Amino acid sequence: MFDTLLIRGIIAVFLISIVSATIGSFSIFRGSTFFVAGIAHGALAGAALGIFISLTFFPINSLIVALVFSIFFALAIGYASHRREDVDVAVGIMFAISMSLAVLFLSMIREYASVAWGLIIGDVLLLSQQDMNILMISVIAILLVFVIYYRRILYTIFDPESAEASGLKVLYYETLLFALIAVGVVSLLKCVGAILVYALLIIPAAAARRVLPSVGGTIIGAFIIALVSGLFGIAMSFYINVAPSSLAGLFAAGVYAFTLLKR
Amino acid sequence: MKGIEVSNLTVKFRNEAVLDNINLKINHPSFVVIMGPNGAGKTTFLKALIGLISYTGRIKIFGNAPKDARNTIGYLPQRDHINTNVPLKVKDVLLLPLISRHMGIKKENVKWAKGNLKKVGMEKYWNDKFDTLSGGQQQRVLFARTLMTDPKLIILDEPFSATDVKTKMELIQLLHNLKIEKTILIVIHDINPLVECTDSVLLLNKRQIDFGLVSQVINEENMKKLYGVGIPIIHREKVCYIMGGDRHV
Repeated sequence: MFDTLLIRGIIAVFLISIVSATIGSFSIFRGSTFFVAGIAHGALAGAALGIFISLTFFPINSLIVALVFSIFFALAIGYASHRREDVDVAVGIMFAISMSLAVLFLSMIREYASVAWGLIIGDVLLLSQQDMNILMISVIAILLVFVIYYRRILYTIFDPESAEASGLKVLYYETLLFALIAVGVVSLLKCVGAILVYALLIIPAAAARRVLPSVGGTIIGAFIIALVSGLFGIAMSFYINVAPSSLAGLFAAGVYAFTLLKR
Repeated sequence: MKGIEVSNLTVKFRNEAVLDNINLKINHPSFVVIMGPNGAGKTTFLKALIGLISYTGRIKIFGNAPKDARNTIGYLPQRDHINTNVPLKVKDVLLLPLISRHMGIKKENVKWAKGNLKKVGMEKYWNDKFDTLSGGQQQRVLFARTLMTDPKLIILDEPFSATDVKTKMELIQLLHNLKIEKTILIVIHDINPLVECTDSVLLLNKRQIDFGLVSQVINEENMKKLYGVGIPIIHREKVCYIMGGDRHV
């Protein structure tokens, strides 16, 4: 049983690293790191709602509700941004709404609130087969979209006005990126928790961009940093009895601090 | 040949007209300068021509609606729209527009891109990071990018910002060569360096102050209408220069 959980954990770290390399890098390129934090909190509210629905109406995987919730919030932010609202302001408002809803739903499922709170911390060594399936499907979906639309999304981020002038549907690709970020964040929720999603999505890409300042370099570097951080977290959690994600987050932050020394 | 036709063009933001009843016809090929004070609607006019914003009235670009004419347009927006968080190389910046035309990145496209980079004197920066270039160098690369799809219409929004005098003169010479076969619309504050290659001038200040040949449009009365202050005009060898501009001696 323990071996199964460990193997799942290691596979999960590999998959998390792919999400970190793709979603994390593009969030850094887009300058949407606060968006990632906002979506993580939206996902938490969605997961709490999922638990409430399961307890009150019918059984449903809380991560699926979290996914729907997060994509809805991502699209709402995309729409607000298209309507000339500052993205940071839109995320801030969404952040407040999500946390209000999260508290509301958590107070409605008082006796099971600990299940939802588990999503705040997460644990890569406690993943069920269903969690792994969701993570695997999410990663395949993210990779597929990036393989097909990589250059179009890049052009949209780099110079939206020229991209639109050349015939690209900027709103479509921007919304697609926001939805992908939502998928990436939710897929990591059970593994690293809502708080540390930010650390493992953003820090590896931010550190990689400092030392390997090209699009390909950032993506590959973020993958390696996330992978090493995740494995370090799992390994160290055998010696220190804490959640692996916290150690992985600290390791990644250490790598970033080290890259700051680079001129 | 039919180029651009604009009739009764009006653009409103929050019920306020930022462009009001613009009417003009531009033949192809030709070189048109658009002038006006800050906030006059110059960039808005360009965006309407490309179909980036909604408007009332009628615009035809080579006989097509703006959105249908995009594959004939090369657009250089103001440089502050560029997101340098994306760590692209110069070659990527040039090749990215090809993806929206489904042209792919083939050998001949790379050769074409290198040729365009050479035209702006930046060929040795092919593999350099875009965000490490100076403002003027970035502007030259972006200028080369507008040529990538071999557009019939080139639209440039303040292309000489951040460029030094030498770069500016080189780009003007390039424009001079391009105008033989292309229509060029350029928003610029100082027309003087371009007077000799300009066919017509559009003076905008939310409405159309005037449109026509340089010698007809650039005069004290129009400058007063445009900027609200009297600006002397110097006439020399059948061309006219605005006092205080680059070519004034």
